[in-house]
Amino acid sequence: MKLTYRTRSLPLLYLLFAFITAIVLFPILINVFTAFKTPGDLMNSSPLALPKEWNFGNLKSAFEKGNMLVGFKNTGILVLVSVFLNTILGAMTAYVLNRFDFRFKRVIMSLFIVAMVVPFYTTEVARFQIIKGFGLYDSIGAPLLIYAGTDLLQIFIFLQFIEKISSQLDESAMIDGASYVGIFTRIIFPLLLPASATLGIIKAVDIMNDMYIPYLYMPSKELHTLSTSLMSFVGQRASSFEQLSAAILIVMIPTLLLYLFLQRYIFTGITAGAVKE
Amino acid sequence: MSYSLQKKLVVVSFLFVPVALLLLFLLYPSLRLLQFSLTDWNGISKSFHYVGFENYIDAFSNPDVWKALTNNFLYFGIHAIFIPLEVMIAVFLNNKMRASNFFRSIVFMPYILNGVAVAYLFSFLYNPINGPFNALLESLGLESWIQNWLSDKSVVNYSLIVVSLWRFSGLHVILFLAGLQSIPNDLYEAATIDGAGPLKKFVHITLPSISRVMEIVLFLNVRGALQVFDIPFLMTQGGPGLASTTFTVYTIQTAFKYNNYGLASSLAIILMLMIILFSYFQGKLFKGKGD
Repeated sequence: MKLTYRTRSLPLLYLLFAFITAIVLFPILINVFTAFKTPGDLMNSSPLALPKEWNFGNLKSAFEKGNMLVGFKNTGILVLVSVFLNTILGAMTAYVLNRFDFRFKRVIMSLFIVAMVVPFYTTEVARFQIIKGFGLYDSIGAPLLIYAGTDLLQIFIFLQFIEKISSQLDESAMIDGASYVGIFTRIIFPLLLPASATLGIIKAVDIMNDMYIPYLYMPSKELHTLSTSLMSFVGQRASSFEQLSAAILIVMIPTLLLYLFLQRYIFTGITAGAVKE
Repeated sequence: MSYSLQKKLVVVSFLFVPVALLLLFLLYPSLRLLQFSLTDWNGISKSFHYVGFENYIDAFSNPDVWKALTNNFLYFGIHAIFIPLEVMIAVFLNNKMRASNFFRSIVFMPYILNGVAVAYLFSFLYNPINGPFNALLESLGLESWIQNWLSDKSVVNYSLIVVSLWRFSGLHVILFLAGLQSIPNDLYEAATIDGAGPLKKFVHITLPSISRVMEIVLFLNVRGALQVFDIPFLMTQGGPGLASTTFTVYTIQTAFKYNNYGLASSLAIILMLMIILFSYFQGKLFKGKGD
């Protein structure tokens, strides 16, 4: 509802949003302050106070003791490979579903819809057995396979974008003798790249923040991701809050940076799935 | 190669991997789950016995399961109460206000942060000894409000729900905002000409136009509330006792900690049915309201 406020109510509005900003930022800022305090400083001053001097030692030691380098590496591999597979598979699925009519098309579409209703956490009991059966338990292959699967939201958004690509492009390519695979790789896929970027970023954030699949399927220390590194770090040293805060900060930074620089794409992706029919 | 042969090849080869992954990791496990739920399998041994609906009967007669479900319901209820507030914030954000983009980014930020990090961050905030949250209350002169946020049975769920609100309300606001932005401005202009005031415009234009987003937010709320897992699992392990155990925490512990796959599977199936049922009725509700 576009309204222009009378100047009298505008300050109230700013006050409301300043309050919301404070609620959002308070936990994060307190954590940042704590991450830079020395143990003595933390003991002797209010937990709300700024650090007396900014001490970078906690970050360094949390990074080393928390096995964060391994976490960054594994999370990086998971994100890059899964997003790559995901984008290609999603685009291929959407291409076939949009451009061709064939038997079982409706069945396949409804399978994706059913999959959306199946609660993610609960099928784990059975999925665990399948991963074990493949001999993928405690290997990076397990999450890769699980993340590579496309979801309904993704296919939905790809379908919307393909819809807008005129099929006359396909036809003129066919007159020039292009094959369907050629049409996909040379015309459709390149035109889907902007949509892919948006979806890829959202998927990347999801994977970076996931704890559940790595926790269940990759318990080994060498296979820890950022989330599971943090979990085991906390398990070991729950009481020293300055180091804990430093570790929390390290794990938050990657998605936070991604968010700050690529907000626009994240917003479009999240909202495109929701608003359009 | 003729185009009709090509078409067959493309359809089959392009869909093979995505559909295989879907069947293998989502649909086949669901069917297996149905099978396990009828057995006494412990997850390790090679053999198991079919026990009929015994697990389901156990699940329903187990007070712990009901306790867990009550906790899930609390998440749902409190998130639902916040929906009007979220709509209001979205309406405000949609106005011509300076720094609107900045506030939009702030509101959505918690949703983007790592869930594990957020859970531990709040564990630290709630710390009973010299914890930042209690220090804040003290500095505001509200010492009497100080609690054992995570170890008091009567408080712990609310402490955890606050974390959930902090994390997910921003997503709802942004979804509502997207709904608001898709409303053409002429509608409001026409209403102004017809002499409608702000309240009338809100009731007759804004609310109906965001009903689809409302449906999505409610669906996310049902799904989210029934599946709450990481916040209690990481912050309290469902404790003290079973005070903050949710249905999913209980299911996962039954399976992986107590090796009772049969019972855990039946719990999972029950959860699945609940989600399907709720979504179905909600869909009906919204369809009934539209023309």
